[in-house]
Amino acid sequence: MTKVIVLSGYGLNCEEETLHAFNHVGIEGNIRHINDLIESPKELEEYQILAVPGGFSYGDDTGSGNAFAQKIKLALWDELQAFISRDTLTIGICNGCQILVNLGLVPALNNYGERDVAVTHNESARYQCRWIDLKINGNSSSPWLKDIETLHVPVAHGEGRFMMDDKTLEQLQSNGQISAQYINDNGEFAKGEFPVNPNGSISDIAAITDKTGRILAMMPHPERGMFTWQRDDYHELKDAAQRGGSDLFEESEGMEIFKNAAKYFS
Amino acid sequence: MHTRIEILAPTEDGRAKNIEKTLETLGVTAKVRAVDVFSTESDAAQKDVFSRSLANPVTQKINKTPTDFNWALEIGFLAGVTDNVGHTTSELLELATGYGEECYSSKLYLIKGDAAREKIEELARIISNKLIQRISIKSHDEYMSDGGMDTVIPKVRLSDNISVADDVNLDIADGELEELSRYGIANKDGTKRGPLGLPMPYLKAIQSYFKDEGRKATDIELETLAQTWSEHCKHTIFASPIDNVADGHYKGYIKRATKEIRAARGDDDICVSVFSDNAGGIIFDDNYLITDKVETHNSPSALDPFGGAITGIVGVNRDCMGFGMGAKPVVNRYGFCLADPRKTPNYFRDKSCTDALLPPSNIMNGVIAGVEAGGNCSGIPTPAGFVYFDDRFAGKPLVFVGTVGLIPREINGKPGHEKCALAGDKIVVVGGRVGADGIHGATFSSVALDEGSPATAVQIGDPITQKKMSDAIIKELRGFSDENGGWYNAITDNGAGGLSSSVGEMAEGSGGFHLELEKVPLKYAGLSPWEIWISESQERMTFAVPEENTDKMVEFFARRGVEATVIGTYTDSGRAVISWNGDSIMDLDMDFLHDGNPETPLKTTFTRGGEIEPDLSEPESYEVALSDMLKRTNIASKEFIATQYDHNVQGSAVLGPLQGIGRVYAETSVSRPALDSSKGVVLSQGLFPRYSDIDTAAMAAAGLDMAVRNAVAAGVDFTQLALLDNFCWCSSDEPERLGQLKRAVEVIYEMAVKYQTPFISGKDSMFNDFKGYDENGEAIKVSAPPTLLVSSIGVMPDIKHSISIAPKAAGDLVYLLGTTKDELGASEYYDELGHLGNNVPETDAHQNLRLYKLYARCSRDLLISSAMAVGYGGLGVTLAKKAIAGGFGMDIDLSKLDLRADKLLFSESTGRIVVTVAPQNKKAFERNFKGFEQCHMIGSVAYSENLFIRDILNVRVEELEQSYKSTFKDY
Repeated sequence: MTKVIVLSGYGLNCEEETLHAFNHVGIEGNIRHINDLIESPKELEEYQILAVPGGFSYGDDTGSGNAFAQKIKLALWDELQAFISRDTLTIGICNGCQILVNLGLVPALNNYGERDVAVTHNESARYQCRWIDLKINGNSSSPWLKDIETLHVPVAHGEGRFMMDDKTLEQLQSNGQISAQYINDNGEFAKGEFPVNPNGSISDIAAITDKTGRILAMMPHPERGMFTWQRDDYHELKDAAQRGGSDLFEESEGMEIFKNAAKYFS
Repeated sequence: MHTRIEILAPTEDGRAKNIEKTLETLGVTAKVRAVDVFSTESDAAQKDVFSRSLANPVTQKINKTPTDFNWALEIGFLAGVTDNVGHTTSELLELATGYGEECYSSKLYLIKGDAAREKIEELARIISNKLIQRISIKSHDEYMSDGGMDTVIPKVRLSDNISVADDVNLDIADGELEELSRYGIANKDGTKRGPLGLPMPYLKAIQSYFKDEGRKATDIELETLAQTWSEHCKHTIFASPIDNVADGHYKGYIKRATKEIRAARGDDDICVSVFSDNAGGIIFDDNYLITDKVETHNSPSALDPFGGAITGIVGVNRDCMGFGMGAKPVVNRYGFCLADPRKTPNYFRDKSCTDALLPPSNIMNGVIAGVEAGGNCSGIPTPAGFVYFDDRFAGKPLVFVGTVGLIPREINGKPGHEKCALAGDKIVVVGGRVGADGIHGATFSSVALDEGSPATAVQIGDPITQKKMSDAIIKELRGFSDENGGWYNAITDNGAGGLSSSVGEMAEGSGGFHLELEKVPLKYAGLSPWEIWISESQERMTFAVPEENTDKMVEFFARRGVEATVIGTYTDSGRAVISWNGDSIMDLDMDFLHDGNPETPLKTTFTRGGEIEPDLSEPESYEVALSDMLKRTNIASKEFIATQYDHNVQGSAVLGPLQGIGRVYAETSVSRPALDSSKGVVLSQGLFPRYSDIDTAAMAAAGLDMAVRNAVAAGVDFTQLALLDNFCWCSSDEPERLGQLKRAVEVIYEMAVKYQTPFISGKDSMFNDFKGYDENGEAIKVSAPPTLLVSSIGVMPDIKHSISIAPKAAGDLVYLLGTTKDELGASEYYDELGHLGNNVPETDAHQNLRLYKLYARCSRDLLISSAMAVGYGGLGVTLAKKAIAGGFGMDIDLSKLDLRADKLLFSESTGRIVVTVAPQNKKAFERNFKGFEQCHMIGSVAYSENLFIRDILNVRVEELEQSYKSTFKDY
C-alpha cells in the first residue's frame, strides 16, 4: 500500500490539508515532526511519497526554506538520498519547494545536494496571496503532472521568485525540468507581468523538477485548490450550476496532482 | 573578537528596489544594494560552514560587499529588542558548528547616487523606528577609512546588583501615597520604577490591608496589586456602579443580555462558554465548538506599529490556545482605525517639538506589516477585516486583532471547554523566556557593547517560537492521555501582566499558589523578582499539571524545540505566595488580591452632538459625486492589504476578502474550518465611529446592526449568530464621555436581546487619547472618537448557502430590502462636503429583525444569487460596488422611493440589503417577502457596461472601478 510522509515542525503549517489531499485520493499517510524523523530516520523506508508542505519554517529567516534545509542536510541527508534513489515520489509545495531548492534536490543538474537555482524575494518585495493560472510544460516527464495542461490554484508567498543564470535556464528548458509557468487570462505566458506572474520569476517559472521528474518543487498550492468550494470563482460556479440544474464537481484542478501520485503507484 | 558576516543580495532584490522607490519620493535617484548582516560576540562563528549556511550561492555573496557606493545605511535592533532573524541564525550556528551563541541581525543598504547626508537620514527615519532600532550612516570616505561598518553587539547588560524584595512603607500621608502611585517605587539610587497607577481609594485599601497584616508591603506585592487591579485587567469602568446601575455596565447590560437570551432560547441556546475564559465559545456542530476573541493593541501600536500589531495578533492567537483545554486557531481577524496616510499632522510628545509622533503613513504600513508577519508566519488564514479612517486616530490608532478557534467538544472524556487547576498541580510555564519586555511602558536600561545609551524595549512577537509551542500543544499534547486522563488540568496564556495575571487567575481554581520565582527561565541575568513576575514577554503559556506528568511533559516539549519549566505549585492555602531561593517575598490573601479593590461609583452626563441639518443643493453631476465617493478612504478598495494576508492557508477559504471578478474588498468572510464538516463559519463586523459626533447610541446601534446584517446577507443561519463587543473610548474619566458610553451600552443591550444574538466575549480600551503639543508648542489633546466595534460570528449549516456580493448573470432582478430615510448625518457624503449634520441613522431593530428572519428563509432555500449590506456611502456606493464586483452593468429605477436623489443614493440608513435574484426564483422570492412592505424591486442586472440609474446617472462601470481602485493603487 502506498504511504505518504508529510513533514511538520519549525513553522511548516500546511501539513494537515496536504495529508487530507493524499487521503482523498486513497493514499494513507502520517504527519511526522522533523525532530521525530531525525530521531528515527529509518522510518523513511516505510514510505513511497515524501511531502514537504507549505509554511514559514524558521520564519523565512536567512532566506525562505534555507534553515530547514540546513537542518535536513546536517541530520538526515543520507537517509533522504536513499529515499530518492528508490522509486519514490517527492513533492515540495511553497515553503516545501523552497526547502527542496535549498537542499539541492531540484533541479540537481549535476548532483543531488548542489544548489543550482534560488527562490528569493518577490519582485514587489511583498507577500502575495492570489489565484493564478499555470501552464504545465508538455515536455515535462514528471509523473506528478501527467495529463495536466493547466491549473487554476493559488499562490501565497513572499519569496517565490526563481532566479538562475542563463546557462542553467537553458539546461532546465532542454531537460524539460521547467514543469509549470504562470500564464495570463488569454493562456499566454505572463512574461514577467504582475500580477499574473506574482513574483517576477524568471521565465514565469512556478515549478521545477529534478531530471527524473519524480521530485517536484512548486510554489503554488494545489491543496488549496483541490475542491471546487475552495476556488475564487466558487460562488459563480455554484450559481451557474444551480441555474443549469446541474451538480458541481466536488474536486477541482489541484487534486489532479495528488491523483497522479496515486496512479503512479497503482 | 567579534564576528560580522555580510551577505550581499542580488542586484534585482525587491527590498533594495523598495528603498530606491522611497528615495525617489525624497528626490534622490539612486541604485541600492541590500546586505544582510549577522554579528556575534565571539569569533567562534567565523567558520565557513556557518557563513555558507546563511547564503544561497546562486544569488548571494558572502563577505564580498562592494565599495562602489556613496552612502552606507545600516539598521539593527537596540539591545533587548526581539530579533527573530537573530534567533534563527543562532539555531543555525548551533546546527552547523555545535556551538551555541546569540546572533544579532541587521540590514545594510549600499546607496549609489548623489544625495546629501540629510536625505539619507530622512530615509532612515522613514524605514526605521528609533524606539527599537539603531541606525548607522557612513559616507563612502568614512566607510573606507573605518574599514567598513562597525560591528555592533546589542547584548543586554544589566547590573547583577538586583534588589530581591524591597519593603515599601505605606504608613505615609495621602500626598505621599499619591506620589508613590504616580511615579512608582523608588530604587536605591532614588530613581523611580514607573507608575503603579492606583487611584486613591485603592491605595487606602492596600494601606489598611498591610496595617491589618502588621507589616510593610514588599515591592512585588505592590506591583502585583497594581497589575491585578489595573483598568487593563479589572475593567473597572465597566465593572463599577454607574448612575443608577448598581451592577455596572458589564454585569448590568452586556452580560445580562447574554443571560436573558440564553434563558429565552432554552434548548436552542448556542452558547457554551461565555465571558469566563480567554475567548467565547459557541456550538459549531456535534463534534466541535467554535471560539472567538477580539483584542485591541492600541497604545503599543502608536509607539511601534509593527511590534504592536504583531504582538497583538500572536497575543490573541494565544487567547485562542488558552480557551478551555486549548483551541486550534483557524481564522484571524484584523481591523485598523487610522488617520489618512496621505496627511502629515505635526504632533509632538514634548513642548519643544523634538519628539514627534510617527506620521500616519508609517503607522499604517507598520500595523499592516505586523499583522501580516504574525498571521502569515503562524499559518492562520486572515480573510476578515476592515480599515476605517478618521484623522482623530492620528494620536492613537485603534488596532483590533481577533482569532477564531476550533476545539473538540470532548477531550479525553471531558468537556473540552472546561478546566481547573487542582491543589497540588505543578505550575509549568512553556515557550519563550522572560526579559524586561513590557514592564511599565517598556523602559529599561541596558548597554550595548559600543553604545553607552540606555535602550527602550518594546515587545515584538516571535511567531515561530509561538508556532512551535502552538503545534506542540494543540496538535499533540492536548490529545495525550493515560489512565488518569489528559496530561494537564488547565492552560491559560500569558498576556498583560505576564505570570502575575496567568498564575493568579488559574490559582482561583485551586485556591492559592506557591511560586518559586528563581526557577523562571530568563533571557538574560539581572532582572529583579518583581520584574520577572510582571514582565509581558511573549510566547508563553502557563499550565496546571499533575506532578506525575511534569517530567514527560517537559521532555515532550524539549523534543519539539520548546522550553517548559516547573516553577511552582497550585495550593488551596488561600494565599498567593512567591519565594525567591527559599525566602518568601510575597504572601497575599487570595480574596484580597482578586476582590479587594473597592468599588468606585461613576456619574455620567450626556449632551447630543451634531449641527443643524445643512440645506444643500443637489450635486451638478451624480456621476462625479459617485466617483468621488468611491475614492474616499473608507470606501475605496484595500485590495493591497487582502493580497498581503494569506487568506487561504489551512485550505479553508470559502468566501474571501476579494469578491467577484472585479475583486471588491468585502468585509464578510466564510470559512470551512473543519475539512470533515460541510458547515461554514461566517465572520463580519460593524463600526461607525463618526456617528458618535452626533449620538453614540446611533453609533453603537449602527455597528451592531451592520455586524449582524453583513452575516445575514452572506447566508448565516440567523439563529446561530453571536457577537463580540470592543469598546474603544476616550477620556473615560469625564462624566460626559461616560454618558456617551452609557448610551451605547444601553442600546446594544436592547438590540442584542431583540435580535437574540448573544455577546460571548468582549474587551475595552478606555483612554484612547493623545496629550501633547502641536508644531507651535501649544498643548493639544487628540481623542479618538468613541468607537464600538461589534464583531459577529455565526455558523451556516452548509457552505453551499454562502452568498457573495457579486451579481452572477445579466437579466437577474435587483431588489432593495429595507427603508431608505433622510439620514445623512455624520455620513461619508456629508463628510465629503465638509458637513456633520444632524440626521444620524436611527436603527429600527424591530423592522430589521422581521427582514433578517425573512431573508434567512430565502438564503436557506438558495433563492438569492448575490447580496450586499448597504454601508458607508449608502445605496449608490453599494450598487457601484456590486456592479464592479460582478463586471455587469445595472439598470436601476429608484423613482418609486420618495426621496431626493442625493439622499436616496448616499443616506446611510441601516437595515438595508441589496440582492440580485435569478428570474426563475422571482416568484418564490417575492412570495417569501409578501406582507413586508420594504421589499423594493429596483431594476435588473444589465447586458450593458453601464450603471444606469434612471433620471440620476449613467456611467461606465469601468470608470467606477477606476475610481474605486485609485486611492490605494500605489500602496
